[in-house]
Amino acid sequence: MCAELLPELIAEDPWGYPIVAAAPVPDELVPLARRAVAACPTLALLLADAD
Amino acid sequence: MSTAGAIRAAGTAGRALPPPGLPRLIPPGAPLHLGEHIQRYGPVPFRDAAGRGGRYRAADLIAEAERAGLTGRGGAGFPTGRKMRTVAERGRRGGALRGQPGTVVVANGAESEPASAKDRLLLTRAPHLVLDGIALAAEAVGATRGYLSVHEGQDELALQLTAMIGERDRYDQNRVPIRVVAVPGGYVASQETAVISQLNGGAPKPAFVPPRPFEKGAHGRPTLVQNVETLAHLALIARFGADWFRALGPAPWPPRGAAAGSALITVSGAVTRPGVYEIALGMPVGELIQRAGGPSEPPQAVLAGGYFGGWLPFFPALDVPLSDAGLRAVGAALGPGVLIVLPESACGLAETAWIAGYLAGQSAGQCGPCVNGLPALAGMIARLAFGRPDRQTYDWAQDLLGLVARRGACHLPDGTAAFVASSLRTFADELRAHSTAGPCARVRRRPVLPAPGHSWDDLR
Amino acid sequence: MSGLTAALPGQLPPGAIVVTSSTPLWYTTRATGLVALVLLTLSMAFGLLSSVRYQRPAWPRFVTIGLHRNTTLLAVAFTIVHVITTAADSFVSIPLQDSVIPFISSYRTLWVGLGAIAFDLMLALSVTSLLRTRMSYRSWRLVHWTAYLCWPVAVLHGLGTGTDTPVRWVLGLTVACVAAVAALIGWRLAYGWPANAGARLAGAVALVLALIAGGAWLAAGPLQPGWAKRAGSPTHLTTGSGTPTPASTTGGTR
Repeated sequence: MCAELLPELIAEDPWGYPIVAAAPVPDELVPLARRAVAACPTLALLLADAD
Repeated sequence: MSTAGAIRAAGTAGRALPPPGLPRLIPPGAPLHLGEHIQRYGPVPFRDAAGRGGRYRAADLIAEAERAGLTGRGGAGFPTGRKMRTVAERGRRGGALRGQPGTVVVANGAESEPASAKDRLLLTRAPHLVLDGIALAAEAVGATRGYLSVHEGQDELALQLTAMIGERDRYDQNRVPIRVVAVPGGYVASQETAVISQLNGGAPKPAFVPPRPFEKGAHGRPTLVQNVETLAHLALIARFGADWFRALGPAPWPPRGAAAGSALITVSGAVTRPGVYEIALGMPVGELIQRAGGPSEPPQAVLAGGYFGGWLPFFPALDVPLSDAGLRAVGAALGPGVLIVLPESACGLAETAWIAGYLAGQSAGQCGPCVNGLPALAGMIARLAFGRPDRQTYDWAQDLLGLVARRGACHLPDGTAAFVASSLRTFADELRAHSTAGPCARVRRRPVLPAPGHSWDDLR
Repeated sequence: MSGLTAALPGQLPPGAIVVTSSTPLWYTTRATGLVALVLLTLSMAFGLLSSVRYQRPAWPRFVTIGLHRNTTLLAVAFTIVHVITTAADSFVSIPLQDSVIPFISSYRTLWVGLGAIAFDLMLALSVTSLLRTRMSYRSWRLVHWTAYLCWPVAVLHGLGTGTDTPVRWVLGLTVACVAAVAALIGWRLAYGWPANAGARLAGAVALVLALIAGGAWLAAGPLQPGWAKRAGSPTHLTTGSGTPTPASTTGGTR
């Protein structure tokens, strides 16, 4: 589902799990990224600050 | 002399002499009991230990460990001083948790790598060095308790260690309560977060990070997890200093930042004298194999680093220095110090398929890419080894290697992928031969690589 | 609440539901109850659809989840109105606390109590889901499983408390809701077969037994005359066999 909400940064592997791009999230996509993280059925994603 | 006598004598004796050269960790002969241990090395050099006669004592063990360039000997090779410093800082910063201050030290001797035997040996032959290390690390990071993990099924060893800890308590050589814990035998059960998870009452499965153990580990406190060998080295550094430690290494007194010191390597496979050897890091692979009596049959390849390591063709491998940097440069790793020689009579692809199947079965079952990807990968490699490899299977295997790497809570998928990738490189000739003529006869021989609890049926 | 008598000329058929005065509150209670049930059914449906990972090119999974979330919130909203109008309706005393504390009502104790249970569960489900990212996944999941209890309890509450149960289209709507959810539960049980075969078969058996038991109860209970009395309507409200009390100004059977 996250891959549907954030196709710019998340692709789906053959088993439906997310493959997340290693690059940092551009500012304009952060709200969408938050939504994608909240939508995960198992809360498997985390949006972290790049220190 | 009695233990009490030894302590009294050590208080007035002059500086203890550091072991010249090798071995450093494991003394020849029978294991030393506490009195003998103190006689040889002196009592544990705590900061406040009354040291008359100029006994060496590290005022700041953490700084000394950093200067020594000691790195973890459990496989990850993380700088020990830095880890200790972080835990100590977090412990000070975190303040009192539930009204109780303090951090935790975990000595990890669970050793779930099947081809590694060094931790077991260390705990049997030089347990007091390890226990010294726990006590010193505990003092340095402000710990209020310690744990020593051992592989399950070693009840006798666990009892012996518990008795030794009790004896040391009587002579104030521990300073913190230390408990021996048995960890189940799964491959991932001895991963640091898995051990912590078990200590916290959960299953011995790797936990998702963040938070990392140095932030929040056992009982919610900043936790220092170190391999037992690392702690044994620490116990010697505390007595003889960083310069002494660095006198052995890739070059004597390597530059700051480069790994140094000695390490225990388990050599097995087609060698005349398999066993655990202590080497100076940087020694060429060939020299170690010579010390182990040389190959027992015509050799084909070596596996360096255990099952998260990599295959290397035998003759080119002989010149590679045994250090993490040296081995990574050629596509292998040092890992927990494991070296396996593969004879000509075995098939590298079959051995890889055998172990890939074993590792797939060792998944903790927590992460989709691992649970799905590793069995698929093992299936592909089995097809390459036992069937007639075609381009499609090979490409799928390559795709899977990329798909599983770095997508789990622990390094089982990446380690397996690295191991398999190295086999496709090193055994490329076998691949070609298999694809034209089918599997060679050697695939049918009994596997060289150990895989406890794994059977051929699991592969079908 | 006294209103115009609804006494019909001649005898009332036994168990007849007599239309009372057009109390807006009572109508609203019944209407919002029914709408809430339909919305809750939709919520269950979208939830089940999500659990079988339903997906089409024009129907991504986040659509299912979004609809699930919105229908649930709407169901909660309608249920809250349903609770308020029930409490405000002075004809029968069902104060607010009866809607959240089960089985303390003097009116149809069991059936109103089931409504309280369903409402409590709806609140728990909604609150935990709104705070999902701030709680442990396992706790959230554990609470969410109670949806399988909440929905049937709500249906039984509607059938047992509701005075409109024998009305054709209301009954038909309820049966349609049950059929839809039962079918989707069947799909959910089949998805991923044969993993956990034992649990799946147990669930299927439970589903079939529940449907049979529910149908039997419905036929012998609310659809039979005299249900109001048997369900626990206070006697001063029920007219027993249906004969209107002389010069009564009561609002018919409730």
